[in-house]
Amino acid sequence: MIIVESSSGHELQVEVVPIENDDFTSLNEERYFFDWASEMQNEIFKLRIVGASEILGLVSLERIPSELRVHVSLLTVSKENVGSSKKYKNIAGNLLAHVAKVAVLQDGENACFSLRPKTELVQHYVEEYNMSVTGVTLSMIVPEILELIKRFDHE
Amino acid sequence: MSKKVKKNSAIDPEYGLDSRYTSKGEQQTEAIALMKMRLERMQNLSREQIVKAKLIQLKLAMEEYIKSPVYDDQNHFLDFLETYVDTIYSRRNKFAKDVNISSVRLSQIINKHRSPSEDFLLRLMVHSEKVYESICEFKKMMWYQVFFYEKIYDTMASQDEWRPSIEKEIKLSESLD
Repeated sequence: MIIVESSSGHELQVEVVPIENDDFTSLNEERYFFDWASEMQNEIFKLRIVGASEILGLVSLERIPSELRVHVSLLTVSKENVGSSKKYKNIAGNLLAHVAKVAVLQDGENACFSLRPKTELVQHYVEEYNMSVTGVTLSMIVPEILELIKRFDHE
Repeated sequence: MSKKVKKNSAIDPEYGLDSRYTSKGEQQTEAIALMKMRLERMQNLSREQIVKAKLIQLKLAMEEYIKSPVYDDQNHFLDFLETYVDTIYSRRNKFAKDVNISSVRLSQIINKHRSPSEDFLLRLMVHSEKVYESICEFKKMMWYQVFFYEKIYDTMASQDEWRPSIEKEIKLSESLD
């Protein structure tokens, strides 16, 4: 998985790994926008550059086995990676690709992940990630979910 | 959600996403509509799309195993091999023919009557490269890693079984002082 440094265009290898208890001390709302401690009942993953410890993005997800579905609960990139002056590109995409992998690992050809963005953000997720709209829920299943993995899954 | 979040959302749609359900009822109502849509679309999946999904699932399972090998009664290498062959081929002897080994030899390997040789691992590696080429990234060393990690981990985890008899046979005849 790769992110791109906006200023130089350099590609950097990243990894998405489960969060550790010690991480919560640095996860303030000022930099990561949400109260991540309130998500402890869900699985939380962090994105970081391989070999570095700084958290650049976070996603929490809820597995719903009875529906063969993984639901994105919260997702964010760190404050310095928001907006036109963002330091790195593709953080959110890599986090979503990780969710896609969790879903495919769990359910194979029946894999599905879902999320519910605010109305004004729906178009962005549809256009950027090719998600399907069902009411207020956006979802991704085979074959689009496989394309998302392929798009972000660089060695 | 705080005011800061609302402010940032106006700048960049990817600042974050709060997608939490507020109630179980809300989740269930959406689940029904979502499942209806999924079932309709799943009926139209081609065999090729299903095979691709299963092969990516297999690759992810192998990666998980490599990240954290487990010691149990299962033979993970053979489980992965069986899934690989059965996902792609309608009959196992077709795979044997494609990698140019006898179907008897393949059957012996899958049924644990014969250990996979290095030659077999090489053939499997090259076959996988061709299969995954158009699907997704697939590390060349993956089958090797699974095979040897399992061997290492099983050996280390079963020391109680093999160590007593081996230790009796091992001596140090030269003094190191």
